[in-house]
Amino acid sequence: MTTIESPPIMTQASPATATVPVGGPGSIVIDHVSIEFKAAGVLAVDDASLTVAPGEFVSIVGPSGCGKTTLLNLAAGLLPPEVSRGSILVGGKPPVRGNRDIAYMLARDALCPWRTALGNAELGTEIRGMPAEQRRKRAMDLLAQVSLKGFENTYPKALSQGMRQRVALARTFGLESPILLMDEPFGALDAQTKLQLEDVLLNLWQAERRTIVFITHDLSEAVSMSDRVIVMSARPGRIIADIPIDLGRPRSVRALQKDPAYHELYSYVWTKLEEGLGQS
Amino acid sequence: MNERTWSAGRIWAVRALVIGVFFSFWEYVSVARWIDPILIGRPTGIIKFIFEEIFITHSLWEDFGYTMFATLSAFTLGSVAGILTGMLFVMKPNVEAVLSPLLMALNSMPRIALAPLFLIWFGLGVGSKIALGFSLTYFIVLTNTVAGGRGVNPDHITLAQTLGASGSQIFRKFTLPSAVPVIFNGLRLGLVFALLGVIGGEILASEHGLGGTLQLLAASFKTNGVFGLIIILAMVGLSINWAMTWLENHLLKWR
Repeated sequence: MTTIESPPIMTQASPATATVPVGGPGSIVIDHVSIEFKAAGVLAVDDASLTVAPGEFVSIVGPSGCGKTTLLNLAAGLLPPEVSRGSILVGGKPPVRGNRDIAYMLARDALCPWRTALGNAELGTEIRGMPAEQRRKRAMDLLAQVSLKGFENTYPKALSQGMRQRVALARTFGLESPILLMDEPFGALDAQTKLQLEDVLLNLWQAERRTIVFITHDLSEAVSMSDRVIVMSARPGRIIADIPIDLGRPRSVRALQKDPAYHELYSYVWTKLEEGLGQS
Repeated sequence: MNERTWSAGRIWAVRALVIGVFFSFWEYVSVARWIDPILIGRPTGIIKFIFEEIFITHSLWEDFGYTMFATLSAFTLGSVAGILTGMLFVMKPNVEAVLSPLLMALNSMPRIALAPLFLIWFGLGVGSKIALGFSLTYFIVLTNTVAGGRGVNPDHITLAQTLGASGSQIFRKFTLPSAVPVIFNGLRLGLVFALLGVIGGEILASEHGLGGTLQLLAASFKTNGVFGLIIILAMVGLSINWAMTWLENHLLKWR
């Protein structure tokens, strides 16, 4: 059962969802998708439907084990096809492993300890076959954008958690994919570092406006960055709310902390999440 | 337990003192004949032996050359074969499933028992020593290579898959580099065991080499010479370890 509710403080339809054709490049269309791991007897996702428009920043929140990551892995083509029912189109095509339309960022930084910050930042483009000179320039450029100028030749062991995740951001944004899938990329960071990196991410995104699907269990992170917040219930994961966040752009996560509209949205999403915990 | 750590100089000084006291005591026990010098030799005699053999008669150099040649050959052949087999196992789990128990059975054989066979096959010369060293090195490097190849971070594999990396890209860019430190530990042990195999083989039967000389000296009760050779071998083992550590620190700066 999918109930998409309209939010209480929505004044107009989110511009991104209203104007863009469905199913084109940079979009994700999930239509009545269920994911069941038969061997383990687990129904991870139950009849989820969701459309993400090109250039949209969508967060998915929900209690742990609600199938958020599973849904993301499905979109990235990481799941065997037999576990899912329903249809899913990523950039207009069925999901496939190694889809060049997708850049995937994991919860842990997954940096290669034997590569320098620069080497890690260009790992993705290197594997996808971008010419050496071009990918190096791009990686240098992105490292500067995430404020790591001067650390190009540093190995990960000498970088802090926050810096390592910045390198991972540079690696992810270095790819020329229109869709970025992010699985709790800031989950392991302390509050202060997290706020900094959220702004780094927003700046990168605001410069290029690629599609982002952002998984998190941190509501303030979801509300402050996204165009829409999708709330999922506890297992089996259902989509129980789809809440447009019409705070202005460009945003600064840190400035938002004092905005009453932000807090109102936050408590609304919180209520929805609570309802989701009560179900199942 | 929170005593203050000494400076490096002080530690060296005390270490030298400990060694000095130990050898003086040894010398005294021997000179005073508390224990027969035939059994324990005499430090001054040992030093004299080492000095004469190395600097005056030069007779140990040739033996040293034979032993080192055999050790390095056994090490090189054993590690290359071990790494290649290990990589094959990591890439082809079915091959491993078939061969692994057989190799483990071979590995659990007391290797020195193979020495007579190697003597029949490869003769008294350096060949049988290389074979024995190889049989020790190969399995150690193999086991470490497999462990290293298995130890690849699953996050790296997920990342590689989402990037669309080919099997050979995953191997070259993730599996191999993450296995290198573990393989290195195998190589370090492998070199020590290559030396062990070669010396063991030489002691059993040989025409040249430090092990053969050791056997000869012991058979004629030249205890000082036996101790002298043991000290030389200990130095060789130490140097091998230092060299490997140096190499590791230079090649694996990122650790």
